[in-house]
Amino acid sequence: MWLSLNIVSDMVDLSGLTAEEIAERLTMSTAEIDGIDIMNGHLEGVITAKVLEVKPHPNADKLTLVDLDTGEKNLRVVCGAPNHKKGDIVPLATVGTRFTEEFTVKKTKIRGEESEGMLCSEKELGFSDDHSGIMVLPADTPLGKPLSELRRDWFDRRLEIDNKSITHRPDLWCHEGFAREIGAIFGREVKDPVDMSLEKTFKSEDTLKVEIENGEAAPRYCGLHMKNIKIAESPDWLKARVTAIGMRPINNIVDITNYVMAEIGEPMHAFDRKKLKGNTILVRMAKDGEAMTTLDGQEHSLTAQDIVIADASGPIALAGVMGGGMSEIDDSTTEIVLEAANFNPVNIRRTAGRYNLRTEAAVRFEKSLDPEICPRAIVRCYQLIKELIPDAVAVTPIVDAYPEKAKKVNVQTSFDFIRRKLGKELEDGEISRILKALNFNVNGGKDGIDIEVPSYRATKDISIPDDIVEEVGRIHGYDNITPRAPYVPCEPPGKNEKRAFERRVKEILVQDAGLVEVSNYSFVGEDLLNKLGVNEDRELRLKNPLSLEQDRLRRGLIPNLVKNMELNQRYGDEFRFFEYGRVYYKKERSSKDLAVENTRAAGIVYSRKATGPLYYRAKEAVTILLNRLFIAGFSFTQASEKLPPYAHPGRTARLLIGGKEIGFVGELHPAVMNAFDVRGAAAFFDIDADALLAAGSGRGRFEELPRYPDVPFEVSVLAERRDHAGNICAVARSGAPEFVKAAEVISVYEGAPVPEGKKSVSIKVVFASGEKTLETAEVDRLQKAVIAALEKKGYKLR
Amino acid sequence: MEDKLKAILSGATESIGRAEDAGALEEIRVRVLGRKGELTQILRGLGELPPDKRGAMGKLSNEIKAKVEAALEEKLSELKSSKFSKLLEEEWIDVTLESPGSTARAKLGHLHPISQIQYEIEDIFTSMGFMVLDGPEVETEYYNFEALNIPSYHPARDMQDTFWTEDGNLLRTHTSAIQVRGMEKHNPPFRVIGPGRVFRYEATDASHENTFYQVEGMMVDRDISVAHLIFFMKVLLREIFKRDVTIRLRPGYFPFVEPGFELDIQCLICGGKGCGVCRQSGWVELLPCGLVHPNVLQCSGIDPGAWSGFAFGLGLNRLIMMRYGINDIRHFQSGDVRFVRQF
Repeated sequence: MWLSLNIVSDMVDLSGLTAEEIAERLTMSTAEIDGIDIMNGHLEGVITAKVLEVKPHPNADKLTLVDLDTGEKNLRVVCGAPNHKKGDIVPLATVGTRFTEEFTVKKTKIRGEESEGMLCSEKELGFSDDHSGIMVLPADTPLGKPLSELRRDWFDRRLEIDNKSITHRPDLWCHEGFAREIGAIFGREVKDPVDMSLEKTFKSEDTLKVEIENGEAAPRYCGLHMKNIKIAESPDWLKARVTAIGMRPINNIVDITNYVMAEIGEPMHAFDRKKLKGNTILVRMAKDGEAMTTLDGQEHSLTAQDIVIADASGPIALAGVMGGGMSEIDDSTTEIVLEAANFNPVNIRRTAGRYNLRTEAAVRFEKSLDPEICPRAIVRCYQLIKELIPDAVAVTPIVDAYPEKAKKVNVQTSFDFIRRKLGKELEDGEISRILKALNFNVNGGKDGIDIEVPSYRATKDISIPDDIVEEVGRIHGYDNITPRAPYVPCEPPGKNEKRAFERRVKEILVQDAGLVEVSNYSFVGEDLLNKLGVNEDRELRLKNPLSLEQDRLRRGLIPNLVKNMELNQRYGDEFRFFEYGRVYYKKERSSKDLAVENTRAAGIVYSRKATGPLYYRAKEAVTILLNRLFIAGFSFTQASEKLPPYAHPGRTARLLIGGKEIGFVGELHPAVMNAFDVRGAAAFFDIDADALLAAGSGRGRFEELPRYPDVPFEVSVLAERRDHAGNICAVARSGAPEFVKAAEVISVYEGAPVPEGKKSVSIKVVFASGEKTLETAEVDRLQKAVIAALEKKGYKLR
Repeated sequence: MEDKLKAILSGATESIGRAEDAGALEEIRVRVLGRKGELTQILRGLGELPPDKRGAMGKLSNEIKAKVEAALEEKLSELKSSKFSKLLEEEWIDVTLESPGSTARAKLGHLHPISQIQYEIEDIFTSMGFMVLDGPEVETEYYNFEALNIPSYHPARDMQDTFWTEDGNLLRTHTSAIQVRGMEKHNPPFRVIGPGRVFRYEATDASHENTFYQVEGMMVDRDISVAHLIFFMKVLLREIFKRDVTIRLRPGYFPFVEPGFELDIQCLICGGKGCGVCRQSGWVELLPCGLVHPNVLQCSGIDPGAWSGFAFGLGLNRLIMMRYGINDIRHFQSGDVRFVRQF
């Protein structure tokens, strides 16, 4: 919203205040000011000058050389306009005048002739759309005067209000509201722009009736019938002000209603009285399917939730949003009905949304306007019409339907409460002074105060003591409050295990396993799921997705991670990353209960030219994680059934903890790599982090360090190619379980001389005793026992 | 005898000169000075000499022994140093190369910058007695709106456009929803923060994201005031930016706080003079905060007559963007490891 300081200065004296100062104080106490605009700032550089002579340009047919007298000196400009002649007083933009960021008037040569400035059209000056020729000023205009003085109305300082910062303040959607704030902040008196005594001059004919059908939807409706109206162009001052508030001048009546809305905040409407059928204006709910055409030419089929203004023929306006085309005023209008009404903000908000008509009126009504403004707005309109059209008369009094007067709001609180909430020792008198400056009436004293809230703050803004705290705090200035630490017990906070675990897991994966953490959207789309073959159509859908790629909530982390792989392999041959995040499960997609959120840790290891299966690298990362967490009893078992479709059938393992499956480690299926057109290989892991946390972890008791030496023993056996080396170690261990401290694979070899389909597995078995040093004979016996166990299971020694 | 001694010395000196390694020197030492060595034999024979010659010969023998030993020693150290002098030539390596294989693979892991700042903030607050809370990302209307004093017709719902799920729930639009669950679960007094992912129904561009991160904070106790709120905010910002930051508090409207504020910090890029980052204003809007609205306390079963509190919400993405000069918010959710590796 534009705030014109010219308009504000009608209500409060701004002398001695810069626009910057006003903007700064308003930002700190009232609402955010987005910027300061000097409207028509160029007018300061444009001065009046008299044309002494107009000569043809020697080198150009359409250009002329104009000699000018500025009162101080004579100079010459080159000009392309056709109209100006000797003796005319014209506006001269002097050298250095800045019109826009890009255009500043400079001393220049045009086709070889020097030009010291520019003569301006009305359009160039910002006064109208007239660009037919140079503006010619009245003959008695003094010379050398800047236009910013001569056309004071057109030169304005405007503040741009951030509308979002005043959504809770219906009173601030107009200049009067800001004038009141400025008055309170700077301690200056505020004048009421409305002269209510004019109401006494209204005649009392009975030519208009108003009825409200539903007082909740339309609490108030004021109408006024006026005659002797002559539609004309607005005078210069009004055009300037309407332009300053960001609207286009139309004609005197429309401009006045727009101006009054900007000035005192009540959206107004003027109907052509002669186009109305009957004497009664009825405010009622629309009928379902009722048709109506608004001023913008749009035809609407209304609903029973919309409020309409109707005459005997039907709807003449969509209440609070836009007038109807049928009753619009035009150049021949001589009688009008002025409307100032109040509507239920929720109805207006929904109607405006329904028909996509977020008009200036609707934006204001949906903020809960004060019904007390309505008669004021009518009188203010009358006042301005009378100024512009002295013959105009109000033939009726204000016809006011106001079924239930708005309740006064009083707030009971105490000076102490205000001080306590602010944390500042303000004097009682200072608190009262601030509240009175804001037009709050304060009664009472030490034992409590009763505060009467002005009607324009009472519609929803101020109702509880805490609201009063804000009023005092903001005008006093929050920067004047000294920060203070509270007196509270000093004790460690409760620990959030889930959060702490998340952090631990991430740190291990990053610091120990060397993975990069990525973060993906919670959304997936059908195409991606299809590409991975995991589309079971079970994802919870968004009602309002932004795109088809993001129209449902993920049930797994892997799909987006595969996309990450596709992206990253464009820039690197080798990388590994993980995500720790939530997936969302819903049994019945439509049932009202919340989705179950499962936290997972998943990652991908990629290499364009891997030597050896990447599975082992992913497994290594997971093993590092499990070991660092001191998780006991985990195992990787070959998984060939019930695999995720994107998993390599021969290179995937289930991760079990205490026999319970908590995730997968595997390579991505070559078909996936093909589908994403990615060369190389990739391995993944996908772990249920909630289950991991539940599995329990942590160090056990301290174990005594071994006191007797280990005795290692190496043995190689022949095994089937698809035998698991882990099994062979287990068999070896079973030969002498009480003495085998460890049994590990040293190497696996396939190829000649090992027969086809077989492999040679070398394992290292470590014997040790907790009680004694093992004698040679004893070691011999143990070795034989291990060999016997292996042979019994069919593993031949090599 | 004297001649013999001189012959031993010259012989030894010559052999030492010719010796090529420590082994050869050792052989010479044994041959001359060993138990059965040439010089040792002579020394043993000294007893047979007449007493008047014994002294002179003994002295001479010892001199020669010392000379041989010194020559051996000198040659040995000469041999040693000449051996190491070849190291430079023979064992030189190119120190600008990397360990084999490691140029192809970045071995360092990196925590996502959001995680880093989140943990940093968690540490600041837990050190001041705040508990870390959690809540679901898919939320009910109640926790996201109603319980925060935002009824269904309230214009504030315009301000935070929402993703709705087909089951009638929504993706939380702010971490304030965590706050409500915290108030239900914990009896006052309490101090809590709730970090997490939030969602807005918003088309993405360089400065808009549909998915981002916040940390919500709340303290409820007796007589909590604006002065206390400012204190905690100043501490938080001093810890984050590692220096005192100039702040200002101005009115801001949020239905769940009263009074409500926008907290601005003086622009760290230009120091308040005005630049592109702060849109020439000298200030950067950083976090909304305020005293908890009595309706919000009441709604969660806390008596607003007995307790009061403050709450704030801090956007993590913007904070990181400011700290590192990141110009596009979409980097955070891009999954591009080149981005994360910078942190």
